[in-house]
Amino acid sequence: MAPRVVVMGLASDFGCQVQMTNIEDDLLDVLGLIDLSYWQLASSGHMPAEYDVAIIEGAVTTTEHVELLKRVRATAGVVMVIGACAVTGGIPAMAGQGDLEERYGCVYGADGAEVACGRVSPAPVKSVIDVDYEVPGCPMDTTEFLRVLSRALQGLANRVPEEPMCAICKTKENICFLDKGEICLGLFTRTGCGARCVTLGRPCTGCRGLAKDANVESAMKILAAKGFDVDEVAERLAVFNTLEEAFCR
Amino acid sequence: MFFRVMESSRLPDLVRGFAQDHEVIGPVAKDDRFVFATIDDPAELRLDYDTTLLPPKKLFFPAEDQLMRFRVADNEVLDDEVFAAPRVLFGVHPCDINALLLMDNIFLKDYVDPYYKARRDATLIVGISCVPSEECFCNAWGTDEAHWGFDIFLTDLGDRYFISVRSVKGAELLDDFVETREITDADTADFQRVTAERKEMFAEDLDTSQLPLLLDAKFDSPVWDALGERCLSCGACSMVCPTCYCFDVRDDLAPDQKTGTRSRLWDSCQFSEFSAVAHGQNFRDSRASRVKYRYYHKQWGYLSKFERVLCVGCGRCARACAANITPREVVSALAKGGFE
Amino acid sequence: MTVANMFKEPGANPYRPWPARITSIIDLTEHEKLFELRIIDEKVREGFQFDSGQFVELSIFGVGEAPVSISSAPSKQGFIELCVRNAGDVTGALHAKKCGDVVGLRGPLGRGFPFAEMKGHDVLLVAGGLGIAPLKSLINHIHDDRHDFGTVTILYGARNPSEILFRYQFDMWKHRDDFNLILTVDEADESWSDEVGRVTALFDKIDIDPDNTYGAICGPPVMYRYVIDEMRKKDMDVDKIYMSFERRMKCGIGKCGHCGVGHQYACIDGPVFNYWEAMNLQEAI
Repeated sequence: MAPRVVVMGLASDFGCQVQMTNIEDDLLDVLGLIDLSYWQLASSGHMPAEYDVAIIEGAVTTTEHVELLKRVRATAGVVMVIGACAVTGGIPAMAGQGDLEERYGCVYGADGAEVACGRVSPAPVKSVIDVDYEVPGCPMDTTEFLRVLSRALQGLANRVPEEPMCAICKTKENICFLDKGEICLGLFTRTGCGARCVTLGRPCTGCRGLAKDANVESAMKILAAKGFDVDEVAERLAVFNTLEEAFCR
Repeated sequence: MFFRVMESSRLPDLVRGFAQDHEVIGPVAKDDRFVFATIDDPAELRLDYDTTLLPPKKLFFPAEDQLMRFRVADNEVLDDEVFAAPRVLFGVHPCDINALLLMDNIFLKDYVDPYYKARRDATLIVGISCVPSEECFCNAWGTDEAHWGFDIFLTDLGDRYFISVRSVKGAELLDDFVETREITDADTADFQRVTAERKEMFAEDLDTSQLPLLLDAKFDSPVWDALGERCLSCGACSMVCPTCYCFDVRDDLAPDQKTGTRSRLWDSCQFSEFSAVAHGQNFRDSRASRVKYRYYHKQWGYLSKFERVLCVGCGRCARACAANITPREVVSALAKGGFE
Repeated sequence: MTVANMFKEPGANPYRPWPARITSIIDLTEHEKLFELRIIDEKVREGFQFDSGQFVELSIFGVGEAPVSISSAPSKQGFIELCVRNAGDVTGALHAKKCGDVVGLRGPLGRGFPFAEMKGHDVLLVAGGLGIAPLKSLINHIHDDRHDFGTVTILYGARNPSEILFRYQFDMWKHRDDFNLILTVDEADESWSDEVGRVTALFDKIDIDPDNTYGAICGPPVMYRYVIDEMRKKDMDVDKIYMSFERRMKCGIGKCGHCGVGHQYACIDGPVFNYWEAMNLQEAI
């Protein structure tokens, strides 16, 4: 029997679910392998009570999310998180820095705290429940999504590339942004997207999260020695990696 | 080996001649750097290039290389053919020619690698003389000159090329497409002068005489710990290296999960997972041990088997390393027991 | 022609696995199974000659490859046995296979134990945990050629009785007088009547003739140094102590670089090295 799959979104722009629709060429093949019971972006129905695989996009930002995730974990045999928001907390996590109450006030006015009742500091899914598979990136890469889904269907363990972006970037014969005097976060960022941004002419934004192999301390020293503003480097890193332990200030 | 002389103005004729039956690949500009790419017009060729971002290994052992297609149900290979069209690699520096000879020891001996071999067999090599840049240290290994490993080699004498002819195929193509003449004593004298002048242009000599011994005797040197602290474990050095041949193998299933491809991808001993085994044991889990291994293997491991070091002094790793870890620095620090 | 040489033939593709059928699966412990495999191509199957200590690359398309040492004896032909722990993608996928399923094999690969050189001598085999897998091949080969060997001593240790592999065979062998077999576990239970403690502690219980004895060791990486110390205390020669190293032998043919150990590659220079060689190998023990 094909595994019953549900796709749901927490706090995010649903960009990664849109990416799923962009698989067009292969989508029918993929749908042939699974029983897609619910897809938040594309379904009008309700989530079924039982399913085997939960694909989750977005960061956890409310107590409702927390409760939902606990139910999902109790129901699904396999939990896969997709996109930066779900994997590292991504951009939403930036909002959790500093005084949340004060921010609610800025956004919602005097009754902010009351209006925003039930909000929690934005966090990745793994901070609430165990996660089996991850597809990082903003948005996630469709090829990687298919690869990870394939591993999940085969029952193979999650495998996240540990090394920084630079190696694959070199294989594309890109000219290093650091040599051109521009900040690039490839030194810090886990590989797996084929250095797509740099190959298209933009520095790496670090959307895939921190590489386990990254030498953050040395990289910061090196960037400083090359004359880059390390505060600016840290600020750029914070866009997707606020909650990565190595940067927690 | 025999020699011919060709007027410099004939070079486009030679390139066009080769292009009749071959894909011509040579150095072209990419911003302020250079890459090996297919040449459609001889004017694109930049034989004055310093070095290319990636070495010619990418043409014989691509960064991602499909080995075979398979069917899952019965674990059967569907196809493992390798298609290699005839081509000319035009304008290869001596260091890179020597690097291919070092790669040959790995891929063409013992268990012959059919993918590398097919591409190697289908490729003619036209060498070109060069002028050392700041990072070059090929003279330290004696790889500053190529004595074999090419079909023809062009030494630039200014108004003409002094051509060394190595292979029958090279001789034939040269004869077919371009007017050359016998060498004279004056040509040989100029060749000697140009070669001698080039030798003078290298930066200070790098003393590598005791390196294999030092690598063993100072295996626990604190120099490696200091380098380990700096190393970014990014693997850039391995990717741009003309002699790094390590690879990983990956299976990818088609979307319907019924068939798939097995591919190999360039890998680096600088990645933490490189030496880990299934049970969780990692034989090189510190950056220091991995930086050390790269040098240990290149300057001693390979040497112990093939009597050559696995480095040609092209300087690419020195340029690619954001942490500025260079062979020149590593070798001298190891000899002196510390950094200056 | 032997299969080992077929891989080296011009035009051969040493990366292409041979289809092999699983003809038997025995559950050994909670985590280990013994697989019997028969290469489907008859010519290849019959040419498959190997040495104890050699390995194969087990290939499951869609998942990958993993190096596995051969557990059956070279004297038994037509099939090979692999003792496999469920520890990763490939071994996990193999554990999920059923009898009759087809997997891929490349090999035999690497350098095994010097059986011919060992003949005419005493042999002391020391195994820890899964390290029994390659030694089982050597033990059974010696068994099939028993009259060519002197005293044969086998010391085998595991963490607990449930992790002792091939117990069905070893329980029978304990009573034989042509093999001096001693089993030990770190933690015993009520079913255990053999030794308790580290395998190195068993050296007090054995007598060996150091000038005439070959050693063979395989076990977890931490074990080697201690076992070698015991063998050296018994005055065994450095070049008669052989050991098999586990490294990440990915291609198995000296190309991919993953199994580098010091200046050598475990896949083509090993995985079996003698102690003299190992002493000269950085990072080995």
